[in-house]
Amino acid sequence: MSFQDLESGRGLGSRRDYINGKQDPTQAVASGIFQINTAVSTFQRLVNTLGTPKDTPELREKLYAMEVQHFQVQLYLAIGFGLIFLVMNSNAMPATDEEHKFCGEKYVTNTYFKKHDSLIDSQFEEFIANKIPLGLCKVLLDERYFMPRLLAVRRNLIGEGSHRQLSSSIRIKMQGESISKLPAQSCQIIIVEKLPSGVFADPFELQHLLHRGVFTDVTVLGDTNLELPSFRSNRSVVEIHLDMGYNMSSGGKDELEVNLRLPLHARYAPLGHGFSKVEFVQPDLFMRCGFEGKAFNGSCLFMPTNDDVDYKASPIVWEVPCGIKKHAGVVSAVTFLSAIVSALLIVSTSIYHSHNTIFQ
Amino acid sequence: MEVRYTDVDYLVFSDAAALMASGKSPYERSTYRYSPLIAALLMPNSFLHPLWGKFLFSASDLLVGLLIHTILKLRGVPEKLCTFSTMVWLFNPFTFTIGTRGNCEPIVCAMILWIIICLMNDWLVQAAFWYGLVVHLRIYPIIYALPIILVLHPLHFQPGKKPALVDWSLRKSKSVQGSSNMRITGLQGIRIFLASIFTWRRLVFGIVSGSIFFILTGLCFYFYGWDFLDEALLYHLTRTDPRHNFSIYFYHIYLHYEQEFSSLEKLVSFLPQFIVQLVIIFRFAYDLPFCFFVQTVAFVAFNKVITAQYFVWFFCLLPLILPWSNMKLQWKGLACIFLWMGAQSHWLMWGYSLEFQGKNVFIQLWMASLLFLASNTYVLINIICNHAYCPVFKQLKHETSNKTTKYD
Repeated sequence: MSFQDLESGRGLGSRRDYINGKQDPTQAVASGIFQINTAVSTFQRLVNTLGTPKDTPELREKLYAMEVQHFQVQLYLAIGFGLIFLVMNSNAMPATDEEHKFCGEKYVTNTYFKKHDSLIDSQFEEFIANKIPLGLCKVLLDERYFMPRLLAVRRNLIGEGSHRQLSSSIRIKMQGESISKLPAQSCQIIIVEKLPSGVFADPFELQHLLHRGVFTDVTVLGDTNLELPSFRSNRSVVEIHLDMGYNMSSGGKDELEVNLRLPLHARYAPLGHGFSKVEFVQPDLFMRCGFEGKAFNGSCLFMPTNDDVDYKASPIVWEVPCGIKKHAGVVSAVTFLSAIVSALLIVSTSIYHSHNTIFQ
Repeated sequence: MEVRYTDVDYLVFSDAAALMASGKSPYERSTYRYSPLIAALLMPNSFLHPLWGKFLFSASDLLVGLLIHTILKLRGVPEKLCTFSTMVWLFNPFTFTIGTRGNCEPIVCAMILWIIICLMNDWLVQAAFWYGLVVHLRIYPIIYALPIILVLHPLHFQPGKKPALVDWSLRKSKSVQGSSNMRITGLQGIRIFLASIFTWRRLVFGIVSGSIFFILTGLCFYFYGWDFLDEALLYHLTRTDPRHNFSIYFYHIYLHYEQEFSSLEKLVSFLPQFIVQLVIIFRFAYDLPFCFFVQTVAFVAFNKVITAQYFVWFFCLLPLILPWSNMKLQWKGLACIFLWMGAQSHWLMWGYSLEFQGKNVFIQLWMASLLFLASNTYVLINIICNHAYCPVFKQLKHETSNKTTKYD
């Protein structure tokens, strides 16, 4: 760019200033400043010629064009500064907006428990609906590149007594219009079990299963106390991650099935008339897929669409034996009576058995 | 269903020890309810071998056998009877499984027996040191405080010489029974007794063991704060666990868990325990191992929570009283054994039905625990009735210590 170019009104933004198809911000600012300086001195020179014998209609036209150019220069300068600012920010700090932070969070439910103390169904549903960002991943969903769809969820309670296993079988269909165009990726299914009040999962037992490779990842959040009865404890949430090993670029199957067994234990139930019913709510399912490619690089959280599954058809109920309230009076009376009788027997034997001991 | 041999407690110890090894508090491991010293003992689990703890506990188990043998030999028991009694501990399936499953009880038992040996050899300060330590580790040995104080009677000891012990062969002779100057007769006697309680031996024992206990507790409090006090001490003193266990109180506690327990209730449940302990102490204190045994059985039977590991507390003392028992194995001895084991198995059957089959058998389980208390009482009464009471120490004449010991 030269003074002649500017004076002749040739536009700004010569090809040389572009790198990689985008204008380099610092170059843009430098050329902007150069242009301003040049324009100012030219403008001054032209203004000085006004009213002198050199003043012509062409001169006034040139002056007018320069004003327009001046405005353009200011605009480009502002954009240049803005780009520099953005570039510096993104280099200096990791992404601070919530989307990036969330996608980086290992456990989905961790964010819920940072804001709330205990698990309440309505609050959790609101959290799932609003706070889980599908932000960057929304692009993929909107463009219908990637649409996981929940086909079937079969759940069952296996075993008897206070220690049982919640077995879940989940079928997902991966579909999307341009599915084959997406780069290679690996997916993880995330199951969030909101445990009802009378039941808990032993975090140490789950860690043991984790070491044996049954899960990819597992955590228990909320009230993890192992000993208290249910009316003295709060609910807990178990989040399980399972690697699905799906690789789209290799053209794998569309349908995936995952089987899972979660060991659970019953707490001591509140008093009642024999058995206390503990009902399980439906789990929340997510998929986290990591993409590696030119256009898109990172991991995304999806919620599979869920039109076919009806949980209410077969609810899962666990009957926990509980103490019977009307026994209370009799039990207490007989307990204390037996203690007193046994104590008296031992005391009388000790005293009256013939020994010569301290007391005569 | 796979039932692991290693007890959950061992995993708790190992985790707590690993936490301690990396500089954190062992109380970050939930359900760790012991002194930090136990976690410290198990720190080699992290860097040496994960089975270090079990080796330590099994070695303590064998040490207990050795100490039992030593005590019986000191009291003059013949070789064959000595060996038989030691075998009752070493080959008892209840006890060797406790150590090998990873419970720390054998260490506590070894300390109690060592305290008895120290007292028998008049190593007073050492006995006091170990006593302070063992009460810090497990609270229950506090029930032995009064018998030990009583047995430290000045007439049992003479300066410069080892205390004379009553030989086993003299257990049936009348001379062994205490002479009149050691008995407490009437109200006057009680006043004299209380006035003379503060002898130098008792004071030294009390002060040394008390200081050790408070120093250790203070150090642990300094390092681990209120977590230590709540988990290691206060939990055991105020424990009301509504989950099913051998105790007769479990169902009562479960049915009243939603309400607070009134002071009257707490008093009524504490009173039988307290009175039984006092009477046993004042009847049998001089026969120290027997007193310990009867106290421990009664303590466990009337406790609010009973778990299988508490049985080890009196199993380590059982061999110490067997040579003085007139009960023959046939058939009274066997009857006692089978009655006790039968009541336990009966309870376990109902417990299995409740926990692993999910049936509502709370009432039957509670009645099984009442039956277990009854069998405990019956066995204890039989043992007391068939025991040849024999003080550990020979009683010396009141006049001077220079004269040789005389017997009536």
